Amino acid sequence: MAKDPIPQVETTCGSLLYELQIIWDEVGETETDRDQMLLELERECLEVYRRKVDQANRCRAQLRQAIADAEAELASISSAMGERPVHIRQSDQSVGSLKQELGKILPELEEMQKRKTERRSQFLLVLEEIESITNDIKGQGGEHVLSKPLLDETSLSMTKLEELHSHLQALQKEKSERVETIRKHLCTLYSHSSVLGMDFNEVVSQVNPTLTDPEGPRSLSDHTIDNLDAAVQKLREVKIQRMHKLQDLATTMLELWNLMDTPIEEQQEYQHITCNIAASEHEITQANSLSEDFIKYVEAEVVRLDEVKASKMKELVMKKRSELEEICRKTHMLPVSDSAMDQTIVAIESGIVDATLVLGHLEQHISKVKEEALSRKEILEKVEKWLSACDEESWLEEYNRDDNRYNAGRGAHLTLKRAEKARNLVNKLPGMVEALASKTIVWEQEKGIEFLYDGIRLLSMLEEYNLLRQEREEEHRRQRDHKKLQGQLIAEQEALYGSKPSPSKPLGGKKAPRMSTGGAATNRRLSLGAGMHQTPKPNNKKADQRHVDGALSTGRRGLDVAGLPSRKQSMNPCEQLQSPLVRKPFSPISTTVVASKANIATPQQLVPNEISSFATPVKNNIIKNLEEEKMMSMLQTPKNVAAMIPIPSTPATISVPMQTAPTPLNNYARLLPEKTEVVEYSFEERRLAFMLQSESMIHV
Amino acid sequence: MSQPPPPSAGRELANPPSDGISNLRFSNTSDHLLVSSWDKSVRLYDVSTNSLKGEFLHGGAVLDCCFHDDSSGFSVGSDNKVRRIVFNVGKEDVLGTHEKPVRCVEYSYAAGQVITGSWDKTVKCWDPRGASGPERTQVGTYVQPERVYSLSLVGNRLVVATAGRHVNIYDLRNMSQPEQRRESSLKYQTRCVRSYPNGTGYALSSVEGRVAMEFFDLSEAAQAKKYAFKCHRKSEAGRDIVYPVNAIAFHPIYGTFATGGCDGFVNIWDGNNKKRLYQYSKYPSSIAALSFSRDGQLLAVASSYTFEEGEKSHEPEAIFVRNVNEIEVKPKPKAYPTPAA
Repeated sequence: MAKDPIPQVETTCGSLLYELQIIWDEVGETETDRDQMLLELERECLEVYRRKVDQANRCRAQLRQAIADAEAELASISSAMGERPVHIRQSDQSVGSLKQELGKILPELEEMQKRKTERRSQFLLVLEEIESITNDIKGQGGEHVLSKPLLDETSLSMTKLEELHSHLQALQKEKSERVETIRKHLCTLYSHSSVLGMDFNEVVSQVNPTLTDPEGPRSLSDHTIDNLDAAVQKLREVKIQRMHKLQDLATTMLELWNLMDTPIEEQQEYQHITCNIAASEHEITQANSLSEDFIKYVEAEVVRLDEVKASKMKELVMKKRSELEEICRKTHMLPVSDSAMDQTIVAIESGIVDATLVLGHLEQHISKVKEEALSRKEILEKVEKWLSACDEESWLEEYNRDDNRYNAGRGAHLTLKRAEKARNLVNKLPGMVEALASKTIVWEQEKGIEFLYDGIRLLSMLEEYNLLRQEREEEHRRQRDHKKLQGQLIAEQEALYGSKPSPSKPLGGKKAPRMSTGGAATNRRLSLGAGMHQTPKPNNKKADQRHVDGALSTGRRGLDVAGLPSRKQSMNPCEQLQSPLVRKPFSPISTTVVASKANIATPQQLVPNEISSFATPVKNNIIKNLEEEKMMSMLQTPKNVAAMIPIPSTPATISVPMQTAPTPLNNYARLLPEKTEVVEYSFEERRLAFMLQSESMIHV
Repeated sequence: MSQPPPPSAGRELANPPSDGISNLRFSNTSDHLLVSSWDKSVRLYDVSTNSLKGEFLHGGAVLDCCFHDDSSGFSVGSDNKVRRIVFNVGKEDVLGTHEKPVRCVEYSYAAGQVITGSWDKTVKCWDPRGASGPERTQVGTYVQPERVYSLSLVGNRLVVATAGRHVNIYDLRNMSQPEQRRESSLKYQTRCVRSYPNGTGYALSSVEGRVAMEFFDLSEAAQAKKYAFKCHRKSEAGRDIVYPVNAIAFHPIYGTFATGGCDGFVNIWDGNNKKRLYQYSKYPSSIAALSFSRDGQLLAVASSYTFEEGEKSHEPEAIFVRNVNEIEVKPKPKAYPTPAA
């Protein structure tokens, strides 16, 4: 039945028309009305048809549109994906109806769309990864940029994907390379900082705080790497610098060890330093081996060694110096002056002068002195002999004065024997002196310098000795004459009174002056005779205090070469009177003679012995001033003479004999001339007066 | 203008007095140094650290000072007063007064007394333990023939040197009379007197470059040993310039002694062997005072103008402390030549 709805409809229409005719017949409609009605019917039918056709037409257009759309989309997807669609529709040979076509194309489109989404997600994945790696590398830190990567929807082709993949791989490779670089840097950094004794974490966190976290993500940016690199470089420089410093120190240390023969045990402690002396930078890996503390510690050791060395050098200098002094002392040469030596030592201490230099100089000096000593040796031996002969002579002299010398006592025979020997020796003395003098002259001519014995020219000593000897002989002669005279006197007295006084013992007795050595060695250095204690002048003017001349100057500093003419006495008549004993040029200044002349001016006491003991040519113009004499007598008793006889000695260093003079025994009775005395004031009193005066001035 | 002293002069103390140094003394128990000065101050230095430990200002120039114990001392001066000063608390008591400026002060450990000598021609003894009332502490007054210039103590012996070259020797246990009255062996004004550490005598220096060595024992044998010697002089153009000898200090161990003069030199002498042992290089100004430390290892030297030429411009005051080498102070016995047999 469904097969022919239209005939059926037509049938229905025919029957309806028939029914209508019947109705009309019955109603009796007019033909025109009937025609009218039929026409209307016809028009209405047409209308319905037209509408349906339009509708169908529109529907078809829509379909076509849909197909075209789908095709277009398909095409765009295909082109985006760079793939041909699965089905390529031949546009010219359209297969089947439009609906079929659509039905075919729709699943295809769906398929393509699905694939596209897949591709898209793939792309996104890759891009995201790229993005994150790039971020890592750029060093922005992944957190803040989580924006979707921009995806070009139009190019999702496989090749593009491949490209992206390879890009990603490159990036990944780069990243891993960077990680590796950083790891390496960190390793180096770690080793450096451990060697340098620095805190690794601190060093690293200065570069980039993310690096300190061993778990968390690390910054991989160029900046970080550059910083790391710089840090590594910096540490390496520091390391090299320190290494050089340490090696320098080690070298110094080794040198000092060598110099001072430091025992191995002491060296062992620093073995680990010195073993690195030739190491290059990368060889030093031991932790803390270049830390600041360590270097300070080594430095301290070097400083200590240096100090030890300095003190040793000083010791050495002192030793050399004492050696020099010893040689000088032994050979009676004048040592280098102490103050010059002190200054060199001070200079060494303050580091102005290198000790080695001084040492070298000293060494040179010693060898020179030694050489000279060698040349002096022969003469010195003779001098020693001569001096000991002189000693014997003086002993003999004293012995001869001893009136009890023939008293038999214990050991008297030994003394006798010694006296005999001494006499022999004394007889040989002139020859000895002669020989010595000629030898010395030869020596001096050879060397072109004077032969000095303890700073005094030997020839002048000899000359002086000869003078003294002559003088003594003369004295002996006088003494004999005097004795003869005295003998006569006594004989006369005896004739008168019949009593014979015991022979007067020479004053001074056993302590009689000793003048044999002619002031050799030290005697001659002592110039006494200044001991004039004059009464204080009433007007104690300052000028007088400060410039006490002439009389006071006769005793000069011990080191002055004695034997030179004493300075001209001042013309002060008063002083002239008080010190009438002007020492003649080159006259013996053997202490006793001069001292006694100067100080023992007590005529009353001395009269009996005056000529015998102290007769010298100068003696004749002795004081006549009675008052003066009295004063002198108070000042001096012969006993005191003994106190100031220096015994010859060879001074080890430049200790100088004092210019001593005995002081009066008792001064109770002495009165000051008081008539014109002005009150004396001490400096302090004057100062206070001045101070008070100036203070009161200020107050006014 | 002022030339720095040579480096061998010793260590210079920081913060020296601003006017003349009248005396300085080392403590008997430590390396503290007490310094009195014309700037009216008494200063206490710790030499080992080169620091000023304390300072006292008085009413007038301080002419002398000495230690009592390590924490206190005595000072005298131109305000006629005798003071006891306690360093760590900065306290001072006046023991009493003289009628005129007090020139010198000594403390006797034997008698437990302070002895002062004044220009009022008296020596007074004080008991520092006494109540600090006026003159309550005074033990006695002993009239001297002249103004007292220098005092020295050894054991119970007190040597008083005055103007007019008088020297009185007292026994502290009997001060009523001088044990001995002497006149100086030197012709000129006495500058300083110091007893030998062994108590047998004293050294006395004068303004005329001379020092006399004297002995207490009046026997002839002992008196025969006395002598005087010249020092602190300079020869210039045929004339000797003599300088006052301001200071004498005996070495506590060897008995040798140092003298200091207005020539700026310090000499070390061996009195027994009559030798000069050493001369230190010249100091910038007169040597006003000297003191050896208790062990003799240090020598304090006051280089300070002593008004010998009246008011004039002079080098600034300075205190030097030098280390003393044994060789500089050890006596050198005479080497007796062995008699040739």
